[in-house]
Amino acid sequence: MRRLSWLLLCLVALPAGAANLDAAKILQQVDRNLEPESYESYRKLIDIQPDGTQKSYVLWTIKKGRDKILALFLEPASDKGRVTLRIGDNMWLYVPDVGKPIRITSLQSVTGSIFNNADILRIDYASEYDVESVKEQPGQYVLSLKAKTDDVAYDKLTMTVDRKDLLPVTIECYAASGLLLKTLHFSNVKDFGGGIKRPAQLETDSPLYKGYKSVMLWSGLKKASYPDEAFTLNYLPRVQELRK
Amino acid sequence: MSPPHGGRRRCWPLVLLVAATGVARAADEYSFDASQYEKKPYEFGGYVQLEQDAFTLNRSGALYKLGYYGEPQRSDLDQTLGILELTGKLRHGIASFDFRTYSSAQTNELASDHTNLLYEGAFSLRPNAGVTLEAGKRALSWGKGYAWNPIGFVQRPKDPNDPQLAREGYVMADGDFIRNPGGALQTLALTPVVVPVSSRVNGDFGSTGHANPAFKLYALYRDTDLDFAWQGKGSRPARFGFDFAHNLKTNFEVHGEWARILQFPKLVTDASGHASTEVLNATSYLLGLRYLTQGNATCIAELYHNGAGYSRSESDSFYRLVDAAFAQAPAPSMLLQRALALGDGPYARPFAGRNYAYFRVQQQDALGIVYFQPALFALANLDDGSFQVTPELDYTGFKNLELRFRVYMLHGGELTDFGEKQNTRKVELYARLYF
Repeated sequence: MRRLSWLLLCLVALPAGAANLDAAKILQQVDRNLEPESYESYRKLIDIQPDGTQKSYVLWTIKKGRDKILALFLEPASDKGRVTLRIGDNMWLYVPDVGKPIRITSLQSVTGSIFNNADILRIDYASEYDVESVKEQPGQYVLSLKAKTDDVAYDKLTMTVDRKDLLPVTIECYAASGLLLKTLHFSNVKDFGGGIKRPAQLETDSPLYKGYKSVMLWSGLKKASYPDEAFTLNYLPRVQELRK
Repeated sequence: MSPPHGGRRRCWPLVLLVAATGVARAADEYSFDASQYEKKPYEFGGYVQLEQDAFTLNRSGALYKLGYYGEPQRSDLDQTLGILELTGKLRHGIASFDFRTYSSAQTNELASDHTNLLYEGAFSLRPNAGVTLEAGKRALSWGKGYAWNPIGFVQRPKDPNDPQLAREGYVMADGDFIRNPGGALQTLALTPVVVPVSSRVNGDFGSTGHANPAFKLYALYRDTDLDFAWQGKGSRPARFGFDFAHNLKTNFEVHGEWARILQFPKLVTDASGHASTEVLNATSYLLGLRYLTQGNATCIAELYHNGAGYSRSESDSFYRLVDAAFAQAPAPSMLLQRALALGDGPYARPFAGRNYAYFRVQQQDALGIVYFQPALFALANLDDGSFQVTPELDYTGFKNLELRFRVYMLHGGELTDFGEKQNTRKVELYARLYF
């Protein structure tokens, strides 16, 4: 009887394990479809206030490997020359006037917008999250993701993925308390060349910032490899010299 | 506090500056083409700032008596200040030249003045990403402390009231050599520096005729920033130290610095104005933290021990000397001359005491208003209990414009650090436009 129970348990558990494996692969493919592992890109962040007033930022971003990414502010003039660097869970902000990097956290926002530092310096979702479950619905997968450590900005994500392109459509970001912090809406899938086809626009809204909206636009996204020395505190004052 | 003279008239430049920025209105279409952001062979930028200050003067304070000696005695002072800071860069291949200038003009009921300084101006060569060589005037910023930097050996001290302001550098030759060994030691970087002092350059660094070698060795070991800094004996006594910074949690950072100065000459006086120089080894250190609350408020706290600073009794002697000297005024006396001479020295420097604390809390997007950041910070002399509290309102919602309002409130009795300052209160409003 005990053997029979064990056999039944294995038969029930096997498909679930296989499904989780597939879900992990889906998430990894979403990561690679969004960006190559090492790349450079330009991004524009637009904050829209309830009265329609806009403030925008332009950033040049480079990423190397699984956990190194930095963003150089090109606009506005008040922020020009600022650099944010992330190596794994460590984040720093370099401000030219201050002349030295300071440690910052993923939950802060260096721009003061709904986008926080984790959104701006995002590394692969698969590096930070495990897939807890996957549901299928017409034309879409719905992945439930759980942060691997307490250091990750959002405790849980609900990611809706287009089944055909394996690209995210929406991502709901939750705190550990279950509070919905923000929702990311991806749109305008564009061919960037070099085999990169992904959404060129991301809009976010948050119940914590009623009436406010932030938009992120991509341009010039391509594979690129920069030296490891660029992703160090000493190099931050000179990051702009890397741009072609 | 007395109402500012001509305050309404003096605020009109601020109003003009705000109006000049305009306000961008939303368009429902979003477009972005990166081609317009290609790197140019030159860059130019900076900011212009208009500031209105109102001081409530501390007529019984020792530093007021020294600073306003021979001036008409006042209980308040209004001041208008204009600042222009220009930055620029020229590039050619692996070489570049960059500069930062600072110009200010100020006027108050007593005098008008202006300043023009070259903060930085240096040539750089970057043969590869791991090597940079520089020569010129450069403002380095060593140390992890927010308000103070005990290991800031080759830089001018910060103003803890505005630690994020750019500062004037020193003429130097320096380099940066970066390696990424991999594994737990993720980064290793060496920054050697030479700061020559002669009658023509770096005169305020120390005695002339020295090259003043120094270096900083940085390491990112696992998830901790570590620096070891050293400066050889020359224009200033030899010194060495280290710092660290580490995130205990994603929203909780700790940092610290420790420095040892060898054979440091310290000027001391007694209450009679008899000054002497003691030679001693001084140890300074700082411990600090930065914490982000769930409500998006950032707290920064630091404790600072200044081993080269004056103890409570040493400061008492100086303040008693000034009191005694000015009790005899207006008749010039030897005591007065001694007090005035010492007033130009280390006793009158900001934060000349031994033990201090700093605390700052700032709320991002307060009252649900994005870019509105109120803050409160406090500085305290832990030896005499005197302190300063400063509420602050900051708004950066207009493109390239920062508006800031502060009220500095100083508290302390006689013979205390903040009780003997030039003013008991300062109200400050500025508009800073970046371009």
